[in-house]
Amino acid sequence: MDDSVIISNVFHHVAWGTTIAIYFWLVGASAGSFVISSFGWVFGITRYKPLALSASITAIILLLLVPILLIWDLGKPLRFIYLLLPSYWHATGPMSWGSALIFSYPIAMIFYTYFVVKNNVTWAKIAGIVSIVLALSTHWYTGVVMELNPGRFLNHTALAPLLFLTGAFISGIGLLILILWIQNMIVSAEKRINWSLIEEMAQYMMYGLVFDAFLLFLEFMQSLYGSLNLVIGHEEVLMGVFRFPYLWMEIVLGLIIPFIILVSPLKRTRAGIIVAAFLVAVGVYGMRIWWVMGGQYLQTFY
Amino acid sequence: MSHPPNQRSSYGLQTPRTRGVPGTKRYAMVIDLRKCIGCMSCVVACKAEYGVPLGVWRTWVKVADKGKYPNTRRVFMPRLCNHCDYPVCVRNCPTQATYKHKDGFVLQRYNRCIGCRTCMVACPYNARHLIPAKRTDDNLPKLVVDKCTFCIHRVKKGLVPACVQACVGGARIFGDMNDPNSEVAQLASKEKLTVLKPELGTSPSVSYIGGDWEIMDEAHSYNNRTAQLKEEFNTFKRNHEGDAFGDIVEGEPTMRQVSKNFGGFLRTIPHKAKEVVDAFVNLYLR
Repeated sequence: MDDSVIISNVFHHVAWGTTIAIYFWLVGASAGSFVISSFGWVFGITRYKPLALSASITAIILLLLVPILLIWDLGKPLRFIYLLLPSYWHATGPMSWGSALIFSYPIAMIFYTYFVVKNNVTWAKIAGIVSIVLALSTHWYTGVVMELNPGRFLNHTALAPLLFLTGAFISGIGLLILILWIQNMIVSAEKRINWSLIEEMAQYMMYGLVFDAFLLFLEFMQSLYGSLNLVIGHEEVLMGVFRFPYLWMEIVLGLIIPFIILVSPLKRTRAGIIVAAFLVAVGVYGMRIWWVMGGQYLQTFY
Repeated sequence: MSHPPNQRSSYGLQTPRTRGVPGTKRYAMVIDLRKCIGCMSCVVACKAEYGVPLGVWRTWVKVADKGKYPNTRRVFMPRLCNHCDYPVCVRNCPTQATYKHKDGFVLQRYNRCIGCRTCMVACPYNARHLIPAKRTDDNLPKLVVDKCTFCIHRVKKGLVPACVQACVGGARIFGDMNDPNSEVAQLASKEKLTVLKPELGTSPSVSYIGGDWEIMDEAHSYNNRTAQLKEEFNTFKRNHEGDAFGDIVEGEPTMRQVSKNFGGFLRTIPHKAKEVVDAFVNLYLR
């Protein structure tokens, strides 16, 4: 045991909290849904065309919630416009890039959706390519905005954007599966999405889970062999205060159980796929919580 | 082209590094921890100088007990903005609200700040705070980020910062590090100075004499806080709803508090909406 104890200090708040974590989750799920939507119209996998519209509308709705959260989370909500004004724009601030992306991505998606509705193959493809670049960039940015803070040891890793994008992919598919399942219950028989497509999406989700687990393992290794800050961050913060979102929500509920479902015979059952999809979406939400708040929490006692 | 170490290229709104560059000023503070008696005069002076609201601080003093009974010692660690030569907060601010002055001050412009708290997340030293929504004088800024200014308004008049003026032990010493005759420069040449988190390369302008690694270390501070301090923080969090919605009371269910934080966020919307409506009314209808 070290021979000094901290007996008094002032209290520091966690600057980015629940609102930001929910925003990261929404942007991710939106990007993931959009990737599925683009399979048919951009990448030419025609069997995915029937679900393009549902997927892109899901992506738009999820993204439209974002400005509500972000703008009201600002201390001065009306000043959000500063983020877009050239005289205020600051090129080295990650949030400057993010603002440009968050405002342009839904616009591009709306154009894409319009061309999909109009069945305009050429323009749907062009708008789809632009949208998918923006979708990936928007979610890449959420990882980067946390990463580029060298003082936040748990967040300052080049794997952050990749972890966020993988989380986006799996949670987007998870959420889309749930929405398509509900949609299939509502619409008439001829408009229903073929269940084999959903099974195929669940398979992609399983590949995403494996990659996500690999990235988490890399992070875990780095924590164990890193500086004292990383070791304490992992042992005391993630396995302490954030044990539920980190260990139970992300790893057990969001990774292990869905993986077991998706490699077992349960993957051929509707219930199995629905449960796995739900758990993956919940798990990624857990990851957003500890990722945003955990790194900051360690520093509140400094 | 490679730069000399003290003039590494700077980014964003950062003036080039001035430390050791002839003909420029580099204001700095040296804190002699051997002389600090933990009277908190600096904290009070700072609060009085700026009317810093309750629950937030521009400068504060961290206290630790060292050793085991009967061989114990109490150590103090005054803290404030480090006015880094390479400040991460300036680089990350999206609206140019914070910038580095040519003489080394890192300053905040309230009229440009949107309250996004990016700089607070970026700052490795907890030196920034969000001014609470409720404060005694309604005419003063609210819900924008604030920080220590090294009392630039006093320094420009030839005075020292309020905390330095109030320090009874003479532990805080302020001056131009580039002036070889200044007290800080002479201390820097004679004494062994340490800075906080040197590994981050922020090049702080606040340095310490007699710094103890344990109290200066973030992980150690987290891991070796007393149970009483932990409980004090928990009490503070239970009774103080912040404006950033990220505080978690240790030992209570995390996800319940996450939901509570979201509730706190929703409760602020009417107040902020009123502010927005008032701004529109003032701008267009009056």
